[in-house]
Amino acid sequence: MSAAIRFEDVTKRFALARGRARSWKEAFVGAVRRAPRDDDELLALDGVSFELARGDSLGLVGPNGTGKSTVLKLVARILEPSAGRVVIDGRVAALLELGAGFHPDLTGRENVYLNGSMLGFTQREMEARIGRIVDFSELGRFVDMPVKHYSSGMYMRLGFATAIHLDAEILLIDEVLAVGDQAFQYKCRDRIAELRRDGVSIVLVSHDNHAIRELCHHALWLERGKVRAYGETDGVVEAYHASMVAREEARLAAEAAEHAAEGDADGAVDRWGTGDVDITGVEFLGPDGTPHHVLHTGAPATIRVRYAARGRVERPVFGLGIHRIDGVHVTGPNTRLGGLDIPFVEGAGAIDYHLAALPLIAGTYEISVSCYDDTLSHAFDYHHRRFPIHVRGSAGAEALGVVVLAGRWAHHAAPEGREGAG
Amino acid sequence: MSPARVRPPGAAAGDAGGAARPHHGPIVVEAAGRRRLSERLAELWRYRPMVRNLVIRDLKVRYKNSVLGFFWSLASPLLMMLVFWVVFGLWMGQPGKAFHVFVLVAILPWNWFSAAVAGGIDSIVGNAALINKVYFPREVLPISIVLSELVNFALALPVLLAITWASGIAPTPHALWLAPIVAIQGVFTLGIVLLLATANVYYRDTAIIMNVVLTAWFFLTPVVYPMGNLDAMHVSIGGTDVSAMRLAYILNPMASLISSYRVALYGSNLGPPGQPDLLFLGRTAATAVAVLAVGYWAFLRHSGRFGEEV
Repeated sequence: MSAAIRFEDVTKRFALARGRARSWKEAFVGAVRRAPRDDDELLALDGVSFELARGDSLGLVGPNGTGKSTVLKLVARILEPSAGRVVIDGRVAALLELGAGFHPDLTGRENVYLNGSMLGFTQREMEARIGRIVDFSELGRFVDMPVKHYSSGMYMRLGFATAIHLDAEILLIDEVLAVGDQAFQYKCRDRIAELRRDGVSIVLVSHDNHAIRELCHHALWLERGKVRAYGETDGVVEAYHASMVAREEARLAAEAAEHAAEGDADGAVDRWGTGDVDITGVEFLGPDGTPHHVLHTGAPATIRVRYAARGRVERPVFGLGIHRIDGVHVTGPNTRLGGLDIPFVEGAGAIDYHLAALPLIAGTYEISVSCYDDTLSHAFDYHHRRFPIHVRGSAGAEALGVVVLAGRWAHHAAPEGREGAG
Repeated sequence: MSPARVRPPGAAAGDAGGAARPHHGPIVVEAAGRRRLSERLAELWRYRPMVRNLVIRDLKVRYKNSVLGFFWSLASPLLMMLVFWVVFGLWMGQPGKAFHVFVLVAILPWNWFSAAVAGGIDSIVGNAALINKVYFPREVLPISIVLSELVNFALALPVLLAITWASGIAPTPHALWLAPIVAIQGVFTLGIVLLLATANVYYRDTAIIMNVVLTAWFFLTPVVYPMGNLDAMHVSIGGTDVSAMRLAYILNPMASLISSYRVALYGSNLGPPGQPDLLFLGRTAATAVAVLAVGYWAFLRHSGRFGEEV
């Protein structure tokens, strides 16, 4: 199979040109003053080589600003490489910005013709397609109204419908799958899947690893303009994911340290209590028993609460409150409800809340931690939503809602009662 | 590896549109890709529908699909004609027959030129959103501006001819000289526009400077006065005495073009319309072609970088 896209040692530099004149005035003043020139450059792509077979689909992953969009723009011929070559075999359609080039005063229909001609289509070729485009966009009679009266959803729908009906052999998609309402989004995904089946090569840039896994056979991981990994999607995405988690751990650890220092400094409205028992820290332990700032759905997890008691305190009750970042109160376990009786505490110690399988769905949660007296009416110490924890989904985990119920499914073909439950 | 031909989309001829388009050869995009001129021109030729649609878009937006919009667009040159007729014809007492025709016959082509230059300068920077998202031969944008202003000019021509005739200057077959004169002006204008549009990408105050330059240019072109007025003035260059008229004709192709329009449609103060001096027109044509060559060369040299500069 021949390649649809081939990058041969492609380098792309952007001149930052801070010192360069941007106007005749500056050029003139610069010539008089002999201002030093600053030839700073940004290396967006550094010797990138890869090949995408015709009919294959490629997901581009990598942190922001590592050259993913530059790759797309090179394939779309909007940019030219600084060195190396890009070979493109097939008609390219870019879903980079839907409706780019629509003119507000023209009707939807007129804009479709204009847009088609920008991609090299003749009037006659567009006439053969206009019916399908209008149907797909679901605009109905609005298609003969100036697009300035369109809602942004209608605008995007028409842009998508146009782009998708232009017989692309290579389709470039940059995070634009969020078009219109839910139903239209499914329609777009179906259409893209259909095009892929028909042998259209697809290049997708997305931060949504699920979309990449769903749509792409291969993935290219770019890091600082260089190819970090290229191969089957699962392997590359997993490696990229692991690297991102490690990076996030480091960032959150630094943030937490900063937060702790801040928390001690200010009067803290999110912390109160008599101070007889001081909660000195909270740790989130992963499956390996070491502290993390990111936990995974379905994996073992432990919340460890460290305390220091002033003298001997009888029958304290430790509690947790788990809130999703948007305020949803997920649950609030405590040692009494959990059947753990603590006769007394004295000095420093720790309480563990262990979960065999973390039921939280991917997202950010904030943990409250408290220590009350026996009657649950006096707080020794209360930290209100002060400890953030990030939960990442793992392959095969549920991803909608708040929690994984870990229930079991069973199927009974025969009516209830005739056959025992499985 | 042998360099493959550049074959952009749309290369197939006679594609009825319904069926999937035939596959074309691979496109190679290289560092500072120097593509052959013939390839670039062939590609531009295939983008005719885009030029056509952009011109139609411009006209539709300008006239808002109405007849009134068209007449409204005539108001500006007619009012200019009125102002110059009052100022120069009545007030300052310019001699001659039908001074309003004398002015109008020059104002219309001048307006085509100045509107195309003013609009064309911004044709790349002003369409940044498009250039950043879609590939097409960039020269489509300046070309479509020059053409849509040409259509505008052409629509005003019948009105000009009617006013000329009504003012007692009967049309002659010499009016047909308009065709080559218009063609030469189109070539010259496009060359200037390509050059300035490129400059404006790098030096964003080009448009502001050209505003002033165009005003000066207007007065250095015999729109409101006869070229003969300059004949009396003499400039000394390196000890040689040169007529200012000769100098203007040599340095300013617009002066030559406007004079030619006037000869073909208005004639002279005393005589009827006649045939423009062919040698003179030929020299202007040569200048126009040279300007276009320089402008297109500069444009092509830089157009590959427009995507990152705008």
